[in-house]
Amino acid sequence: MASSATEEAKPKPRLIVRLGVFLASHHILFSAICCTAGVIALLFLPALAKNTYLSENALIPGSANTLFSTEDVLEANRFAKGIEAATGESRGGTEIPKFIAQQMKNLGAEVYYHEFLPDSKCFHPLKFFTSMTNNMAVKPNGTYTNFGINTIGIIRAPRGDGKEAIVLVTPYNSQRVQPNELLSLSLGFSVFSLLSRVAWLSKDIVWLSADSQFGEYTAVSAWLNQYHNPMFLSHPVTLATKMYGANRIIYKPDGTTEKAELMAFKRAGTVAAALIFKVGETRKYGDRDSVTMYAEASNGQMPNLDLLNVVHYLAVHRQGFRVNIETFSSLLTSSWLKVIAEVFHNIGTVLRKVNPDWKLDVTVPDYVEGTANLASSIYNQALGIPTGSHGAFRDYQVDAVSLEFGPAFHLRNENAKSSFLLRGGRLTEGVVISINNLLEKFHQSFFLYMLTAPSKFISVGVYMIPFALLLAPLPIVAAALAGSSKTKGKLLDECKTKGSADDLQIECGSWKWLKSARVLLVIQFWAVLVSLLPYYISQIPGAMPIQYAVIWAVLSIAILIILYAMFGSPFHAGVEWKLLKATMITTITLGMGLMSIINFATAQLGALILIPMCLFSRPLREQLEMTFLPRTILLVSSILLTLLGFPPVAFLIMNGLSKGSWTVDIVGDFWLWMEFLWEWSSATYLYVFLVHLPCWLLCIHVLLHPCHQPESKMKQE
Amino acid sequence: MAIRHYWSMAAAAVGFRLVLVLFGGDLHLASRPEVSTPLTSIRRLAEGYWLKQASMSPYSGSMYHGSPLLLSVLGPLTNKSLIFVAVDFIAAMLIRATGRKLQIARNRSLKSLDLTEAVSNSVNVSAGDIASLIYLWNPWAIVTCVGSCTSPVENLMVVIIIYGACSRLAPLAAFGYVMATHLSLYPAILIVPIILLLGYGPDTPPTKVFRLKNSNASKTDVSYDEKSSSSRDVRQFSWKPVLHFTLWLLFWSSYVLLLSSIILNKVGGLQEMFKKYFFAEVFDFFRSFFLIVFNMNIIFMVLPLAIRLKHRPCFLAFVYTGIVAMLKSYPSVGDSALYLGLLGLFANELAEMHFTFFLFFGYIGVSLLSPVMHNLWIWRGTGNANFYFATDRVGYRECKFNDKA
Repeated sequence: MASSATEEAKPKPRLIVRLGVFLASHHILFSAICCTAGVIALLFLPALAKNTYLSENALIPGSANTLFSTEDVLEANRFAKGIEAATGESRGGTEIPKFIAQQMKNLGAEVYYHEFLPDSKCFHPLKFFTSMTNNMAVKPNGTYTNFGINTIGIIRAPRGDGKEAIVLVTPYNSQRVQPNELLSLSLGFSVFSLLSRVAWLSKDIVWLSADSQFGEYTAVSAWLNQYHNPMFLSHPVTLATKMYGANRIIYKPDGTTEKAELMAFKRAGTVAAALIFKVGETRKYGDRDSVTMYAEASNGQMPNLDLLNVVHYLAVHRQGFRVNIETFSSLLTSSWLKVIAEVFHNIGTVLRKVNPDWKLDVTVPDYVEGTANLASSIYNQALGIPTGSHGAFRDYQVDAVSLEFGPAFHLRNENAKSSFLLRGGRLTEGVVISINNLLEKFHQSFFLYMLTAPSKFISVGVYMIPFALLLAPLPIVAAALAGSSKTKGKLLDECKTKGSADDLQIECGSWKWLKSARVLLVIQFWAVLVSLLPYYISQIPGAMPIQYAVIWAVLSIAILIILYAMFGSPFHAGVEWKLLKATMITTITLGMGLMSIINFATAQLGALILIPMCLFSRPLREQLEMTFLPRTILLVSSILLTLLGFPPVAFLIMNGLSKGSWTVDIVGDFWLWMEFLWEWSSATYLYVFLVHLPCWLLCIHVLLHPCHQPESKMKQE
Repeated sequence: MAIRHYWSMAAAAVGFRLVLVLFGGDLHLASRPEVSTPLTSIRRLAEGYWLKQASMSPYSGSMYHGSPLLLSVLGPLTNKSLIFVAVDFIAAMLIRATGRKLQIARNRSLKSLDLTEAVSNSVNVSAGDIASLIYLWNPWAIVTCVGSCTSPVENLMVVIIIYGACSRLAPLAAFGYVMATHLSLYPAILIVPIILLLGYGPDTPPTKVFRLKNSNASKTDVSYDEKSSSSRDVRQFSWKPVLHFTLWLLFWSSYVLLLSSIILNKVGGLQEMFKKYFFAEVFDFFRSFFLIVFNMNIIFMVLPLAIRLKHRPCFLAFVYTGIVAMLKSYPSVGDSALYLGLLGLFANELAEMHFTFFLFFGYIGVSLLSPVMHNLWIWRGTGNANFYFATDRVGYRECKFNDKA
């Protein structure tokens, strides 16, 4: 009895092992099901979006009556006239800061100027990985003629302890003020002047009128950098650094104490939240003024959803604005999306009949709009480049959102302008009241989400389902491939030990993968070198982007050939293609897993491209031995997918889908795009070169694998 | 069978380190928590050195928690970590020599079991070469070496223990033991494998195999006496080297204590130094709990493993270092570098290991995950300490799995 029981127990391993073996033996079916389910789930996302809600109770938006009145509108108009007068007589761009500073001083606020230099283009792809704070290249030495001046006013809160602050930002170009920028400046000033009079402030208010002649982001990030990283310059350095002309124009020649006061960098408390608002140009004469929210910061980081909720709630329900987010307008009119929408609508209605609680039947226009918004949201997050100056705040873990007002009237229309100022001012004041109520940092609501509409979002728990489904088959397939080659390997080993035991040192048994790991290491090394090349290439002065790109490509290929000459090419090393594929799949799993933590959207898009490619990859030579139909299908799909996976081609398609226009100059554009990525120190650059490119190359190796070696050995046996 | 190009590869590793140290510029490795812990950070050592120069106790101000000896030896050399390159190289050479010794012992015991065929046939790589190359080229070892922390020195001391014990050099083993224990206390549990090594000699197959062999031999073979005598030679516990070791241990420890007390003479005396051993930056309320977790947990493991692996003291030492790397307070990649290096010593046995493919990639994944999680926690604020802690846990699981396998 006992012996029979042990016999029964022995061949039956644990359930989880049996499950693993079962999945591995059906890995093709499993991966096909998972990948299809992943793509379908991705398309289902717009239907799964939920309405936003306010999580933080302290915010209570709209509960207080706003104080912003027509008086403040008049104030704004006076301010605008003053600036117009000042710019009329101005030399250079220093009159506006002077005027703003004077006005703020009249309100009783603390005022100072912040001078900054434009950012130089530099190659720092790993910057995102360390702190964003302390590595801005400030070299305060020498004389500069080209610099920007931010004007900053601080209102100390009458009820606060000075530990927290709210930052309002209005960007404007000091060199040439447009009427819409003038409007946003006067809006900012009127809100600031109102806030200087109110009694309920418990957080300090900082108004930063950012000089955007080098771009908004540069101005804001330079100010934030100095706000958070105090610089202690020795006296001679300060003296040696002269912003040429500043001393002459801004400061009165007599008031040296005043100069020191205006130049001293003043701070309020930690920044609780920041609101960037600007008035855009009149685009279309619609029925309502609109507000466009921009929230994507670097590497797919988003501000807390509550901040967006407050803005949306006040703008829509109190002030009657139309709230937009960025969208891919080309998708709104595409017919194939409408077909998909119809299909999902029908499925949704059927599901609704099955269970009335499943509210998946979105209407066709809703679905199309949601998809366009979601695609734009994913694209912006995946690029990893901030969509505005709010990105600079997020680098210091401050929640910030950019609001771009889109007036629906002509800017000469005084009546419409006053009504717009009134509502815009009340919106801003309302948001400030809400943030002022906060007792802690924003933490209640989501940080990881994607927007399908201004008031609809997909949280992390939902949007990671498609990614998880896409990623799920990879370990199984890797296990199946590694396992199958191992069983074969054992047979080979036996025959080899009978024959000659000279060359195989470590490749016996379960260590056979070491060779493919070596191939992987060589390729990864190559990828690192390729990703570092632009640093040297971009030093060559005065070449066209296309020339840079060609140099880059040629050098990469040369390096690859040299590396193969040094370490032996994988075709001669005699690596089994199954092991090579297993290695490739494992690296993709690791790379995707890591990337999904750093920037989920990039990983999601990358998975859509990479995972089918690597699952389909089989040696062409082996495919040729199949029967006609599967052969052609496999051949065509693997070649197509591999072509798609090549980074420049993938870029071309992304670009075409996002902009709706198809460019011709792929190579030059690719260089420009990469330049863009590394200037903004986006993690996507690292992903493209350290995960995507090596996997693509490995895939090519698998496709071109001369899979005759195992056969010859089998014959030997 | 020696590995071809051994010396060129070793030289390349050393050269790589030198290049990184001299031209690495701003890698900021020293500020990574994985590389330099509060216990091993060389920046803290510089602080302690400065305090000592200013005639203050280096242990005042809770900055420095290392050994006073390191303070005087490394203190003046804190600028460039060239010395760590040398230390790593010596450690690798000692690992290689240990591998040679183990190899010889292994071949002898196989021969005494009449398995000469197995000796010549089995994939007989020179394990020492592999182990030292693994140690030299291990990215973690490179990172610890370049990242200027004192763990290479601690690792060297542990390697000295094992080498000294394997080659039955009692003074050397005692010196390594005293120094390693002085530097970080955890290697104290290595006393068990040292005594076993000194008493029995390097790793052999279990006793029962010999007994089985002998019983077979008694049935069939004529030359019973000769075989049994040879096997008896192998298994006999010799007290002489152990006594030797104890004497040297006493000598070295009193010497080290004397040196330390001389160094600390002016600045607060020797009792200052002993505080460092049980150092943990946690809330006072949890302090005793964590001390138990960090220290008792390891001690629990000592006895069962010693009983199970008493015929293979060298492997036992390796398992102990692995457990210490897993469970110690303030773990760093330096500890992992040590035990991964020692892992190579058993390359011949590892050839039979399963799931190596997944272990390898799991290691890579975990070691990449930890900086990502750290970044998420510290710089981006979307993660928190638990994320990082979870990564640590996964790392432990990996280590443990490796040990089991």
